[in-house]
Amino acid sequence: MGAPGRPAGGASGQGIGASMPRKEDDRYMRGRGQYVGDIKVAGMLEVAFLRSPVAHARIKAIRIPDAIRAHVVIADDLEGVKAIRADTSLPGFKSSVQPALATGKVRYVGELIALCAAPTRAEAEDMAAEIEVDFEPLPAVVDMRAARRPESALVHEHWGDNLYLTTFVDVDFEAAKAKAAYSVTKELVTARQVMSPMEGRGVIAEWNSRKGQLVLTTSSQQPHIVRTGLAECLGLAEEQVRVVSPDVGGGFGYKGILLPEEVALGFATRKLGRPLRWLEDRRENLTANANCREHHYVLTAYADANGRLLALDCEATVDSGAYSAYPFSACLEAGQVGSILPGLYDFPHYRCKVYSVATNKPPILPYRGVARTGVCFALEVTLDALARKIGCEPNDLRFKSLVQPHQMPFDNIAKRHFDSGDYPKALRMAIEAVGHDAVRARQKQGEKDGRRIGIGYAMYAEQAGHGTSVYAAWGIPFVPGFEQSQARFTPDGGLELRIGAHSHGQGMETTLSQVAHEILGIPHDRIKLVHGDTGETPYSTGTWGSRSMIMSGGAVAAACDALAERVLKIGAALMQAKREDVRLENGFVVGPSGRMAVTDIARTWYRRPQDLPPDVDPGGLELTAGYKAKRDTGTFSYAAHAAVVAVDPDTGATEILDYVVVEDGGVLVNPMIVDGQVYGGCAQGIGTALYEEMGFDANGQPQASTLSDYMLPGPGEMPDVRILHLETPSPYTRWGQKGVGEGGAIAPPAAITNAINDALKDMGVELTMSPITPRRIVAAIDAASAAAPLGGKAA
Amino acid sequence: MTSIRVTVNGRPVEAEVSPRQHLADFLREQLFLTGTHIGCEHGICGACTVEIDGEISRSCITYAVTCDGASIRTIEGFDEDPLMGKLRDAFTRNHALQCGYCTPGMLVAARDLVRRKADLSREDIRTEMSGNLCRCTGYVGIVNAIEQVMQETAQEARAPSARAWLGPAPGPSRQVAEVAPAAPVQARKPVATAPAQTKRTSRSPITVTVGAIEEVDGATRLMQTFTLPHPREAVWALMSDPVAVATCIPGLSLEPQRPDGTFPGRMEIALGPVKASFSGLGTVEAHPAEYRQVIEGRGGDKRSGSQASGKADYRLLADGADATRVEVALSYVLAGPLAQIGRAAIVRDLVRRVGEAFAQTVDARLAGEEAAPSQSFGAFTLLLQLVLDRIRALFAGSNAKRG
Amino acid sequence: MKPSAFAYRRASSLSDAVAALAANADAKIMAGGQTLGPMLNLRLAQPAEIVDITRIPELCATSETSDWVNLGALVTHAAIEDGLVPDPTRGFLARVAHGIAYRAVRTRGTVGGSLAHADPAADWLSCFTALGAQISISGPTDTRRVPLHGFMRGALDTDLAPGEILSAVHLPKFSANARFGYAKFCRKDGEFADAIGAALLDPDRAIYRLVASTTAGAPIVIEAGAAFAPEEIPARLDAAGSTGDSYERRLRAVILKRALAEAMGK
Repeated sequence: MGAPGRPAGGASGQGIGASMPRKEDDRYMRGRGQYVGDIKVAGMLEVAFLRSPVAHARIKAIRIPDAIRAHVVIADDLEGVKAIRADTSLPGFKSSVQPALATGKVRYVGELIALCAAPTRAEAEDMAAEIEVDFEPLPAVVDMRAARRPESALVHEHWGDNLYLTTFVDVDFEAAKAKAAYSVTKELVTARQVMSPMEGRGVIAEWNSRKGQLVLTTSSQQPHIVRTGLAECLGLAEEQVRVVSPDVGGGFGYKGILLPEEVALGFATRKLGRPLRWLEDRRENLTANANCREHHYVLTAYADANGRLLALDCEATVDSGAYSAYPFSACLEAGQVGSILPGLYDFPHYRCKVYSVATNKPPILPYRGVARTGVCFALEVTLDALARKIGCEPNDLRFKSLVQPHQMPFDNIAKRHFDSGDYPKALRMAIEAVGHDAVRARQKQGEKDGRRIGIGYAMYAEQAGHGTSVYAAWGIPFVPGFEQSQARFTPDGGLELRIGAHSHGQGMETTLSQVAHEILGIPHDRIKLVHGDTGETPYSTGTWGSRSMIMSGGAVAAACDALAERVLKIGAALMQAKREDVRLENGFVVGPSGRMAVTDIARTWYRRPQDLPPDVDPGGLELTAGYKAKRDTGTFSYAAHAAVVAVDPDTGATEILDYVVVEDGGVLVNPMIVDGQVYGGCAQGIGTALYEEMGFDANGQPQASTLSDYMLPGPGEMPDVRILHLETPSPYTRWGQKGVGEGGAIAPPAAITNAINDALKDMGVELTMSPITPRRIVAAIDAASAAAPLGGKAA
Repeated sequence: MTSIRVTVNGRPVEAEVSPRQHLADFLREQLFLTGTHIGCEHGICGACTVEIDGEISRSCITYAVTCDGASIRTIEGFDEDPLMGKLRDAFTRNHALQCGYCTPGMLVAARDLVRRKADLSREDIRTEMSGNLCRCTGYVGIVNAIEQVMQETAQEARAPSARAWLGPAPGPSRQVAEVAPAAPVQARKPVATAPAQTKRTSRSPITVTVGAIEEVDGATRLMQTFTLPHPREAVWALMSDPVAVATCIPGLSLEPQRPDGTFPGRMEIALGPVKASFSGLGTVEAHPAEYRQVIEGRGGDKRSGSQASGKADYRLLADGADATRVEVALSYVLAGPLAQIGRAAIVRDLVRRVGEAFAQTVDARLAGEEAAPSQSFGAFTLLLQLVLDRIRALFAGSNAKRG
Repeated sequence: MKPSAFAYRRASSLSDAVAALAANADAKIMAGGQTLGPMLNLRLAQPAEIVDITRIPELCATSETSDWVNLGALVTHAAIEDGLVPDPTRGFLARVAHGIAYRAVRTRGTVGGSLAHADPAADWLSCFTALGAQISISGPTDTRRVPLHGFMRGALDTDLAPGEILSAVHLPKFSANARFGYAKFCRKDGEFADAIGAALLDPDRAIYRLVASTTAGAPIVIEAGAAFAPEEIPARLDAAGSTGDSYERRLRAVILKRALAEAMGK
């Protein structure tokens, strides 16, 4: 499968490689999806939270009017509830405990103080407004670099500093300096962002006394992980907790997190004796919860006399916010910086120190591309600057420094194991597709409207589906092992697949059906994927890290293989043929003397067992199988992005004229869906590059509480992105597929920034902060012309 | 609760609604039509788009009670619509949806666009669809799908706009439920009932200079200076008395000084429809030898859950025998929802205006005129400025232009 | 994000609405609600009573005289966009309307509401000021008609007295040679404008009017002469008290120049 020359989608055209339209679509397009907010439970109350208006303070008193006291839960009420704790086993990591409701202190604006329950959300908000809190203000720790200084106020006093973790890697760095012919040092910053799925989080908690179970219906992409964390916090056995994730309106990493809201509702439903529903509103989402990405870099890149990358030296700081979030912890984002920074390049000397810093801001959570977006930005923008210093096209530097295809598989300087690919080819394709020479020619002519044209590139690799060996080293609350799937035939011949991961836009109800169809030949309308319910699915760490098509795809295939074997055995017996003489084809067991529909075999197993052969496998047509890639260090899909922009120096407006992505995601199960992931990722990357910024004032007050302030790219902000594919199979996965869920979001900030800097290079302008707003462009132009008033370079 | 009669997806509905219930919640919570999604509840994202009397609208910022008599169509009401059928086919063919959350609003808006317009460029389609956000698809499939359906239906006539009522639907002619006679105003006491106008005085205007605004140690600081045509002793007589100063500051009311030296007080701020009332304590520190006084206050606004503190440090400098130069160093800190709406650039202008009103009032008072400051724009100015500033940033956003 | 409780009153006539405002100082008028709605949902505005004026026929009347086009305050942006009202500008108004926020907002947002809210970034405020519009303000005793220029006192602050309602907008008619220009700078389609420029050049009536929005208050009006050169714009804006930092002032000038260039047919 996946072999060159194989027809897309296999024999039926509906298997692996087919751009099948999605099964999910119809219910969504008719408004019949079912998200948490669409679900009502009898007797349910709505929850609003009283949240901290200040970033850092001691709570001196909470005054709740008697009339509402019985409907309010505060920290003092949380008997037997443990705080959320997401530690790592990395040496030196300092633990934070995140209480479900603020206990003694508040550490960020928006931290939960009181849960209020009422028949309607409006009344619950009325209630929250009745509660008064006396705060003793403490100095807010807002700037992550200032937070590293010894005189800084402390987020967690007993730490003695504000550092969750400091990591350091040095590969013979000192030796580089003597060999270096060129170097540049850049300071780069990526803004704090908000993932902003269109649906916020939502939770319904109810206690089922018949089952003795807390049923938590939650907008989560990792329901089994939520169950584990929730059970730990609430002091329940895991079998006493069932987590259901119905339709989920976008995740992007945010919905992998165990929220204090989930713990608070899980407790309060029993205390108040009523089912409770909390639906996160946009203000809560923006100001208090879905924060991500905030990096600072001082990066020096060295090249040798031949213009080849020689060394990188980096000091990076990541603003991890007030608490280590469950399950990924406050080390994942920062800890990965050092391992990702070398990018796709082969060079001999390296040093990188990374600080994960606590501040009085919401915890930083993993967002699509986790750390890679910031790292790619830092590296690729610095490489362009280095090329300008050398006086060459940036891509000359790249071509000389990229890992070459004959080196594959390749272990890089940070011990990452690149599985397969042809990086220079991807870059060559991007250069050709974007019409590099024509853009350079146009650039020379100049634009009639006074704008300036620029072209920029960026490349990255996306580690995906990485498993046990990688996560055991992190030592965070979960380590992924084998992924499992359950497959079973129904009595009338339908196929049910059960996975513990969750599909919320990735189209797994379709793509995993393609996998099963490929193996069993069952028509798609008889294949049903069951997911999003810990009570109905095998354990899984869930949907994260672009792992689902590798892991769940592999598991479904393994289950279908095993099921096929049982079907074939029964079929052979019923057709009085030998096992080795029958095969599966388009939903039939085909033997020497005829064929038998798989549906008939299912019917026989369930309804006519008297016809079964005596040695039939008693496990029947239902089984669970597991899967792990041959090597679990992950697949490395990669891409070259090319952007052409026009910048208006008068207004600072940037228009993306062209955007090309050359992507290698290995063998594609559904190319249409892969393209959708790339397009969607690019839109988020463009948001990172030009629009999205969650600012905080000096007191830690978030500065964007609406989508007017926090700008998500709309249709008008997106160019017609063009995608080209390479298809280098991974040697380690079932069909050579690679994870591709995040890549689109990684490179755009770097590529667009490089294009803007290319456009403005004659003016002496170089921007190193995302997002690049019109105001920042004009300020940079002003600064450059002030710095060189007579230099002749400034226009 | 108020009775309304509406038609929803062709079906007449009579219901009791709370006036504060928006249409999206009414559809979802009372009629169980959960296809209308809620994404932002402030009119930006478009997930809640429905048709009201045939025109697309935001159901999250339209209240059910105002729809009395209207005909509403939600995504569930388009199941059998042929044009929507074409769009559904094109959406699925072009992978124009992933998580599905924005999809109902996106389809309702897309159908309205195709109904009204033909032959748009891709760029125009993007602009027209700018009121609907999608976080998954990057809009590529959406634009492709709309473009294709526009081409498929190119020969079909576009619906002419022929509305009789040019205002927000449904307008006056529609049969509606009896509105209960003047429902009693709920609970809360009204705020700020005095006239909003500054009484004009006969005096010539005082120019107030506003210095640069800066952030220092978490506080926003600025300096205001103005010159009053009165001797320093006369100005000091007024400005050294906190209660007298307070009466020149619109919206500020102080109670008598407590034994511990503090002044309980309340600062009311009104800006358009936004009102806030900060209650708290103030302190005064006088330095008569320097003609200097420092007034500090800290308070909370229960309505919005916001907190504020501010400080005015002013001193009087003789400017000849008959004039006094007043220098006021202002600083403030605001926390909570009112502080969390992006920044904007109006502080300077507003501080000048408010400062002018204050200076004008002091001048008139010293000249023996009866002068009351505006009730609606306060000159414990800092809080006000900040609130104005933050609020403007929001409502100068897309919302503001909407009327 | 739900509003605090308010009472609801549906005014049947202009006098009824004025009376409702007089009866309750904490009452607030709502027309299309496209600005007020978000403020209510965010609880930034918490009026005790909402007076719904959308059922008042006289507030939606449009008419024409030889010199004026009269638009009721309730006329929506979409009605102008769709050409359903008399247009003295040969399509200019429809184009401005089309650029306001999004279609689903334009169908309910009204001209009167937009002006009365007095946001510095509002399109109609700058556009109508450039056109030399007047407005009618109805109060308990009478209706007064005043120039729009001067109505706005500052950000979100107008000359409306308590109990008064902005009831109509009056647009002058222009000569056949009149030219219009409009430009705005938004970071995103449909979003808040960082700068708006509007220009009316009506040589037959010797009107050469340029209007620039500010981020902080009323728009700046420049009455230019026939010999006015675009290069004069920055200095004229500064002389008129153009506020803001250097970026805002520069952007304002650039955008106003673009509006003027359009009006000049360049």
